[in-house]
Amino acid sequence: MTIHQLSQISLAAVMLCFGACAGGGQGAKKPASPAMAGKEVKPASGASGAADAKAVVESDEDGQAAGPRIPDPIEPVNRAFFLLNDGLYFAILRPVARGYEFLIPKPVRGGIRNAFANIRFPVRFVNSLLQGRFEQAGRETGKFVVNTTAGVGGLMRASDRIPALANVPEADTGQTLAKWGIPHGMYIVWPVLGPCSLRETVGVAGDMALNPVSWIGVMVGGGPAVFGTTTSWTMAISGGHTLSGLPDQMNAYDAATKNSLEKYLAARSSWLQYREAKAAK
Amino acid sequence: MKTHLLCLTILAAGLVCARAEVAAAQKRLEATVGDVIAMAERAKSASQLSAEVSPVLEKNLSFETMTRRAVGPGWKTFDPAQKAEATRLFTALIINSYCEKYTLGERAKVSYKPAAEPAPGKVEIPTTLFYKGSNYEVLYRMEQTDGWKITDILVEGVSLVANYRAQFDAHFKRGGAAAVLAALRESTGKLQ
Repeated sequence: MTIHQLSQISLAAVMLCFGACAGGGQGAKKPASPAMAGKEVKPASGASGAADAKAVVESDEDGQAAGPRIPDPIEPVNRAFFLLNDGLYFAILRPVARGYEFLIPKPVRGGIRNAFANIRFPVRFVNSLLQGRFEQAGRETGKFVVNTTAGVGGLMRASDRIPALANVPEADTGQTLAKWGIPHGMYIVWPVLGPCSLRETVGVAGDMALNPVSWIGVMVGGGPAVFGTTTSWTMAISGGHTLSGLPDQMNAYDAATKNSLEKYLAARSSWLQYREAKAAK
Repeated sequence: MKTHLLCLTILAAGLVCARAEVAAAQKRLEATVGDVIAMAERAKSASQLSAEVSPVLEKNLSFETMTRRAVGPGWKTFDPAQKAEATRLFTALIINSYCEKYTLGERAKVSYKPAAEPAPGKVEIPTTLFYKGSNYEVLYRMEQTDGWKITDILVEGVSLVANYRAQFDAHFKRGGAAAVLAALRESTGKLQ
């Protein structure tokens, strides 16, 4: 993957799905705070890192997990982007999220969030199939049909009332790549997007390609929304998509970094553990 | 024949004991989580919640174990006074962190799944927390020390202990126990 391709993906991701990488998919639940066991140990930062190294796990003397590690060979650059993002969250995105929460009543916010989650059905369905989880793909389809019909276009999660369709694990492209044995590669903090790795960057691009919100530009604007030929429709819908997930993203960021000794390390560890747990499911 | 019967009886007795242990751990956890949720629902302020919840958490979480594991192998280099101070500061940080997860007035609902016993004296209890319109997978690790105590909490796969371990490691490499304690003092100082 070239730098140009990466920057295109990054730009596209920033435009259309802020927080998807950090959150493992917009609207995805992020850890509120800060396991696994293994043998191989690698330093968490700096000089460690071959780009194709796997995230590894370290055990302590109790045999209890000390958490996975990831090579971070460009740590100074990552720290600079982390600082930039932290300022951006504090100065712009958090006030926007609070404003959204203040202006839009909670049930309406919930409905909007549910509708966008329902629209992302192809991401979950295709990745369930790619992982060979056909039963899960079937449940996803059932969930989509029930929520789209009985849930009035996905505004309500009617599927939650059907035990077989409640709590269907959410598959995404990063998880699929992990299931196929592709390692993380190095840790990257993208501007605005936040914590990521080489593998998960490709995963975010895959999720975007499968997300119908990204297709709207093609349908109404004549070109893929992700590469800039946006119209007011795509802007409005992708803006709504971003905004609906923003409060959750901000809460997740706060939860991961508040009460930390060092925000950068706390965010890296939380993100990595979250993605490793997702890959292990 | 008699030997086989004896072996089976011992095995069955062992299984019954193990199930009883797991049930005892789960009962303890349910009581603790129930108490904390009830306190969070009736608390009028974050400080009131923190004051009420602290004794419950101190009784049911093994903060000494959590601190030791969060620090990692470097813990051996801490003298007793440093260990005591690190545990006290880490306890304050965790209690504050735990209380901040709650938004006053929000109701939380927890459902418990079957517990696993990864090793004798250790139990992992998976739960689902329904909070603010979303479901979260929360796993409690408990160990038999002086009674069953929580030694780690994993939210959506993210371990509280491992998260702090990643941070303590960096500080320990920079300046040993003194650097870890300085970082803890600075973080807990921000709480007041």
